[in-house]
Amino acid sequence: MDKCAILEGLLFVVGDEGLTLKDICNILEIEKEEAKKLLMELKKDYDNEKRGIRISFLGDSFKLTTKKEHKNYYQKLLSVPRTNTLSIPALETLAIIAYNQPITRVEIDDLRGVASANIVRKLVAKGLIKEAGKSNMPGRPNLYKTTHDFLDYFGLSTIDDLPEFLNNDESTENEKELFTSIYKEE
Amino acid sequence: MNYNFHINDFEGPLDLLLHLIKEKKMDIYDVNISEIIDEYIEFIKKLENKNIDIASEYLVMSAELIHLKSKKLINKEEIEEDDFTISSEDDLKQKLIEYKKYKDMSLNFQKLEEKRNEIYTKYPENLNNYKDDSSNDINHQDINDLIEAFINFQNRLKYIKPLNTRITRKELSIEKRINEVRNIIKKKKKVTFYELFDIINKDYLIVTFLSILEMSKNKEIKLNQKNEFEEIFIEAM
Repeated sequence: MDKCAILEGLLFVVGDEGLTLKDICNILEIEKEEAKKLLMELKKDYDNEKRGIRISFLGDSFKLTTKKEHKNYYQKLLSVPRTNTLSIPALETLAIIAYNQPITRVEIDDLRGVASANIVRKLVAKGLIKEAGKSNMPGRPNLYKTTHDFLDYFGLSTIDDLPEFLNNDESTENEKELFTSIYKEE
Repeated sequence: MNYNFHINDFEGPLDLLLHLIKEKKMDIYDVNISEIIDEYIEFIKKLENKNIDIASEYLVMSAELIHLKSKKLINKEEIEEDDFTISSEDDLKQKLIEYKKYKDMSLNFQKLEEKRNEIYTKYPENLNNYKDDSSNDINHQDINDLIEAFINFQNRLKYIKPLNTRITRKELSIEKRINEVRNIIKKKKKVTFYELFDIINKDYLIVTFLSILEMSKNKEIKLNQKNEFEEIFIEAM
């Protein structure tokens, strides 16, 4: 039996749950290297213009998705276009959690300057963040971190794919100030 | 000064402060914080005059900023312990920079979200119909399986059960002891009380004591004690 074909079927069956590399190895009883090779093989097949789906690596797992070139056609299927995107405060809160996880709600409030309890609750309900144990701070508040669904939602493969902050750290800024101030004194 | 924006346009006091900085076309790293503070307080004051409900966070920030200003006026390093969270203009600046970092980043996330929405995936297939429901296995078993299981269980029980053991008890009757004591006294004529209690054992002690009482009652023996706590002597009547 062709393992590549089996893999294709597996990916079809799991849908948006996806398969991790480990899953593929376990099910097909193969080594990681071979699994990667199969994935590449399948990916190449899908790259063909005549194919309508592709393999995406989202949220630490491989999934079959449509191609973005075809999005207009899919949107015709929807009577109402997708509008349930996240609100600005929700995005802001998610960004804070993503870069500081695990983080308590109070720390989020502090960074945003507003209470975030409702937003945090909504994000948990949406499955984008989850509780990750308790902090050792007084009252032992819950810690929050992002989920695999969070990565998928933003089309990220792994947590390392988070966009990087522009390099205007205050540390370099302080150095510059010190530098210029020396000259000012003279 | 006229404001062409509304309080509801902001996510919170930090957001409003950032907006004020932007309005003034100032760089956040090189901002004149006290000017921004004045702007902010002015803005909130006007809102209050218009009797508009303002979220408490904005008022808290107002108080913080006024506190900051007054602190600067008296130009004195204040004692640590106060309820204000912003300790200096620099501190406020840092908070704003930190907040701006995430606010800007959320735009990146918005772009990512948009991009991800361009592709579709599907729910996992429902494989429940193909599931081998193990509860159906009951059909392949009959009463004999149950009996066998029970026999196995009984067999196992045999090993668990403790071995039969007989615990014997030496019964000592008063009559028997009376006979014994009678013989001893016959032989020795006179014995001390303690001599009769030669075996330290609860039953033996009690039976012996009762025997002595019994014999005394029957006037078989005579008990003698000269003084309190002295030796008791027993002899035949």
